[in-house]
Amino acid sequence: MRCLQWTPAFVFLTLTMGVSSVVDAVPITFNTALPVAEGEFIFRQQLRWLRSSDDPSEADRDMRVVATISVLGYGVNSKLAVFGVLPYGDKTLEMNRSGTEIERDNQGLADATVFARYTFWQDNIRGRTFRLAGIGGFTAPTGDDDKSDGFGRLPAPLQNGTGAWDWFGGAVVTYQTLGYQLDGQFSYRHNREANNFDAGDEARLDLSWQYRLWPRKLSGGVPGFFYGVLEANYLHQDKNQRGGQSDENSGGDTVWLSPGLQYVTRRWVLEAVVQKPIYQNLNGNALKNDQIVTTSFRMNF
Amino acid sequence: MRALFFTLLLTMTWSPVTQAAETLYEIRVDGLACPYCAYGIEKKFMQRGIVKTFDMDFKKGLVKVTLKDGEEMTEPQLKQLFDEAGFSYRSVNKKAL
Repeated sequence: MRCLQWTPAFVFLTLTMGVSSVVDAVPITFNTALPVAEGEFIFRQQLRWLRSSDDPSEADRDMRVVATISVLGYGVNSKLAVFGVLPYGDKTLEMNRSGTEIERDNQGLADATVFARYTFWQDNIRGRTFRLAGIGGFTAPTGDDDKSDGFGRLPAPLQNGTGAWDWFGGAVVTYQTLGYQLDGQFSYRHNREANNFDAGDEARLDLSWQYRLWPRKLSGGVPGFFYGVLEANYLHQDKNQRGGQSDENSGGDTVWLSPGLQYVTRRWVLEAVVQKPIYQNLNGNALKNDQIVTTSFRMNF
Repeated sequence: MRALFFTLLLTMTWSPVTQAAETLYEIRVDGLACPYCAYGIEKKFMQRGIVKTFDMDFKKGLVKVTLKDGEEMTEPQLKQLFDEAGFSYRSVNKKAL
């Protein structure tokens, strides 16, 4: 039976479950460097839909994922913040197997992520701030990685967890004004082997631009801000290794363009974004992504 | 009746004195750029239990705080508070109310 490949779309989802979904980021699709004040908590809850049905193979695979991602952050001091991320996923795969349509699915808690962010450099001027931070953390194998169904053991992308301890690191830069904000993030993730499977390492570059649509003119007080958001995400994934052999139907490069909306108040934020792949150069028969839709609520306390 | 008269008189004369003890702090702060920033600062002030009113003016980069009667904050205290919140304290203008 043909296996579902560990495609960049699922890698992206895994990554964003861990690193990106966080915190005080004004960007929606990735984490960034806005401050978590000392002694302050931030909670973020995301709901994410992902679909990948562009299958170059005869298996005609159609993968759907609905995930909730809970994030809790804490400001240890004005420079150091720590975060914990716990995703829950509901995955469904439909595919053609020897002329017969089959469906496989799985639900459950996924791998938990813990990471820290340290702001190395900060320059504040009136109505503007520039911040440069480093991030680093790990993903623990808290999700089940050995589930099976009537067809046998589920392929790696359908499992809740990877079974491996993975680590990642990167840098985040933010330039924020009263009218707009620019963010950029680079990160590298080293995925380790478990269950005779080693997902390829990943490098990603994320950019975000948020423009204040309302209020057009600022007066006194602290009004809510309504932002238009445009983000771009680039992901490169190395080929997977299975049993020490390189999987030629895995890995590649993907670029998403992501328009979104965001309403920001002093206590809470509502936001939504649609990520559409505009470039997918995947290896072999790796399953291509259709889109990712994310809605999110966050608050600080 | 005389006692009531003196009580009223005392209240009328004491009240303006009490209000005059309140001070408005207009604090110039750099780095304020979105509403989400405001809460961390407000929380820092409220934790001290001496704040009567709190407001911000993003356009002018001002944090406006009225302290309770007889309370005050020094510049080093203000600097530390804004440092902890992730912003840069610049100056303060105190106005008696």
